[in-house]
Amino acid sequence: MDEISKPKAEAVAVTDEHDTQKGKYMTFKSGEEYYGLKIQYVNEIIGFQEITPVPETEDYIMGLINLRGKIIPVIDVHRRFNQEPFEYDDRTCIIVVDVKSTVVGLIVEKIAEVVEIQEENILPPPSISRVDRGQNKYVYGIGKVGDTVKLLLDPERLLNDEEQPAAEKTNELMVEGE
Amino acid sequence: MADEFNTEGMLDMYLFENEQLLEQLQEMVLDQKDAECFDEDSINEIFRTMHTIKGSSGIMMFDNITAISHKLEDVFFYLRESHPDNVPHLELVEHVLEVEDFITGEMEKIKSGQGTDGDPSEIIARLDQFLSKIQNGEGTETKELPKNVHEEPRQFYIAPVASSDSRFYKINVIFFQETEMANVHAYKVVYALKEIAEDILYSPEDIIADESSAQTIIEKGFRILLQAQASEEEVRNIIGVGYDIERVDIYECQAEEFLQGFDFGETAIDLESSVEEIEAKKEAKKEEKKENEIAPGDFVIKPKEPGKPKKLAKDKPKSDKATFISVNVNKMDMLMDLIGELVISESVVMQNPDLKVPGLDLTNFNKAATQMAKISTDLQNVIMSMRMVPLTNTFQKMNRIVFDVSRKLGKDIDFEMVGENTEVDKNIIEHISDPLMHLVRNAVDHGIETDEERKSTGKKEKGKVTLSAKTEAGKVWISVTDNGRGLERDKILAKARKQGILEEGKPDSAYTDKEVYQFITLPGFSTNEQVTEYSGRGVGMDVVVQNIQTIGGMLEIESKPGEGSTMNLKIPLTLAIVDGVVLETGTSSFVVETGLVKEFVSVREDMMIHEPTGDEFVMLRGECFPVLRLGDWYGLKGYQQSVEDGMMVVLELDGKTICMFVDKLVGKQEIVVKPIPSYIKKVKGISGCTQLGDGSIALILDPSGFIE
Repeated sequence: MDEISKPKAEAVAVTDEHDTQKGKYMTFKSGEEYYGLKIQYVNEIIGFQEITPVPETEDYIMGLINLRGKIIPVIDVHRRFNQEPFEYDDRTCIIVVDVKSTVVGLIVEKIAEVVEIQEENILPPPSISRVDRGQNKYVYGIGKVGDTVKLLLDPERLLNDEEQPAAEKTNELMVEGE
Repeated sequence: MADEFNTEGMLDMYLFENEQLLEQLQEMVLDQKDAECFDEDSINEIFRTMHTIKGSSGIMMFDNITAISHKLEDVFFYLRESHPDNVPHLELVEHVLEVEDFITGEMEKIKSGQGTDGDPSEIIARLDQFLSKIQNGEGTETKELPKNVHEEPRQFYIAPVASSDSRFYKINVIFFQETEMANVHAYKVVYALKEIAEDILYSPEDIIADESSAQTIIEKGFRILLQAQASEEEVRNIIGVGYDIERVDIYECQAEEFLQGFDFGETAIDLESSVEEIEAKKEAKKEEKKENEIAPGDFVIKPKEPGKPKKLAKDKPKSDKATFISVNVNKMDMLMDLIGELVISESVVMQNPDLKVPGLDLTNFNKAATQMAKISTDLQNVIMSMRMVPLTNTFQKMNRIVFDVSRKLGKDIDFEMVGENTEVDKNIIEHISDPLMHLVRNAVDHGIETDEERKSTGKKEKGKVTLSAKTEAGKVWISVTDNGRGLERDKILAKARKQGILEEGKPDSAYTDKEVYQFITLPGFSTNEQVTEYSGRGVGMDVVVQNIQTIGGMLEIESKPGEGSTMNLKIPLTLAIVDGVVLETGTSSFVVETGLVKEFVSVREDMMIHEPTGDEFVMLRGECFPVLRLGDWYGLKGYQQSVEDGMMVVLELDGKTICMFVDKLVGKQEIVVKPIPSYIKKVKGISGCTQLGDGSIALILDPSGFIE
């Protein structure tokens, strides 16, 4: 067993060294704060385009866009964080992210920059956060870049509702049938 | 050394061929399971199939498959040669299916990259037992049989699928003395010849595994018996004379000689031996045989005494051979996608705003455009028909399930298939196979009572499961019908009440039968107290319904207590391209399938009826229909309020008619259906989305979602 796992570990280390994406974060502004997303999740950034609304969905799901023939849903990060809705304009961008093969567009107010944040500069989020404030449940860490801080987002939690895991559980429970 | 072979392509071929053989085998066996015995053709066919599988598995070195197919071949060899009378047919059928299952299982393992580690010895032992049982007979005269077939496999030859154009060749390939690994070269020749061969035999046989065969080949030459439609010249070209082959001798011969096989003993090959000589040898052999066996009458199937006609399977007309190639499904999907894009970009061109400049002369453009539209429609039709697959195979699988389950449960059940040639898109077939299997299992396990129960309730006829398919109005209807006990309304209601599904205070009688039966499709709802081996194994009715819904289908349940139940599946013919009407409401575009639209009507305010509850109706030609305002239903912004400014779309489905009020009609268009990204949870009444000519997205309406 040991013999097998060893070369594997080495291989991982090698690729890590060459991984230029490591430790890089795409940052954007939403409300007053700057947020960061691991760059591995980011497929591309596109300009704002017309959105086809889908009725009866959560209010932060704005609808569907046509990304070169592929139809993807877009969500408004502002609304997702329960922040005040903002007017879309020319500077509004859509970050297309791919989280575990779910491709979703994130509408953000303003794209900032790509920054590198070392592991040691990432702190866990303050423990006395009020859960009902909304955004804290999506933030898994706080990254320090010089004097500023970026709230690092967990994209999975950002995309999926809390109900999601529960739904999966019921799926597993439905084993017996007629 | 066999490892040096690149078996990639061969393996694919092997799996593909054997899969098909096994499928045919199963179909044939199940087709005749109710007969009293297999007819002669089938025995030959099964024998041939097993022989082929044995041969190819031997080459691929899947020893367990080789062993088991050899054993079954033995059994059928005996049946073929001795025509025993007292064969327990059902048992035989089970044995064949068992072997088939084993091989299928092993092939699955091969496919997933595992080795073939299944142990056939148990099945082989059972087959041995079975063989000796039929050999020794029960109460009938004991028959001597040609002993252990395997020792002289060259002695029997399977009647080839002789077409009159077939020609027979004896080929002797002589390799240069210094050739290394002559067996590999010989194998190359065999492999090349297989392309054209209707049948091929070669000696020495074991050229792959047995390295000493190389020496034999060098010394005596490599002997091949070939049946093919090719000319001598073509055969020669295929074998080719390479650096390793010294000489190729090809003699055309008669079928009789050919059938004789390598009946040359250990002496050097006697290629020039005349037909007469061989005939003589054959005669001599026959004499020998006759001595060993009993009456000559045993060579034919004994006619039954009058009044008890033998139930033989009907003769099937041999259909003309069509030429097929197998194509990777991914490529088909890619083509499909591309054609979808083509259809879209075609409408982008046709509806291009640049064309709308006033005063533009578009006569020639329109001519060309019409031509192009015609071609792209043809193209679509062709690709669609390429993807259409008859349901036969899927139904056949169900036949097998009914057989297995009913045998295990000791129920005597007939299975009937109706309309199995109905063609459905391949994607859909993949999705319905599992749900269908579940429904059939349910019918056999829960639906149909045990034989005793049937007798006590006075049911005369045998238990019967009918699987039928038909196409109607652009949909495929598949139904599973049983003549069993039917669903028990009271039991379901009681259970529903216990689970708290029913509304408090609403009496049982307020639920229609249809509503009650739908309860069994809810998760965790099973009226069956105990879980049996065949049902309740993880796929419940709820999963069936889910699977059906993902492809836009529906499940309807009908049942009559004591008379049986019917599960109706309604599924779309194809998922990919539909003919749709584009509508607009507010700022959103919607598409509704053309097949559902009965008519478009402009109505006046005085045709409307408003109920105090807010419900609206419209009177059309003396009939009253409910009105659904699409904008209102989905809470859209900026849609027409006055009915006189908009348009009523009269939709008809499931015998119900509703009028959908929209702002305006945009046009009719072929649309490529794309699923709504799974991230967005299912919205009632919306089944998918599509890209319109201008690149914008429209939502596809599924009016069945509006009808509660």
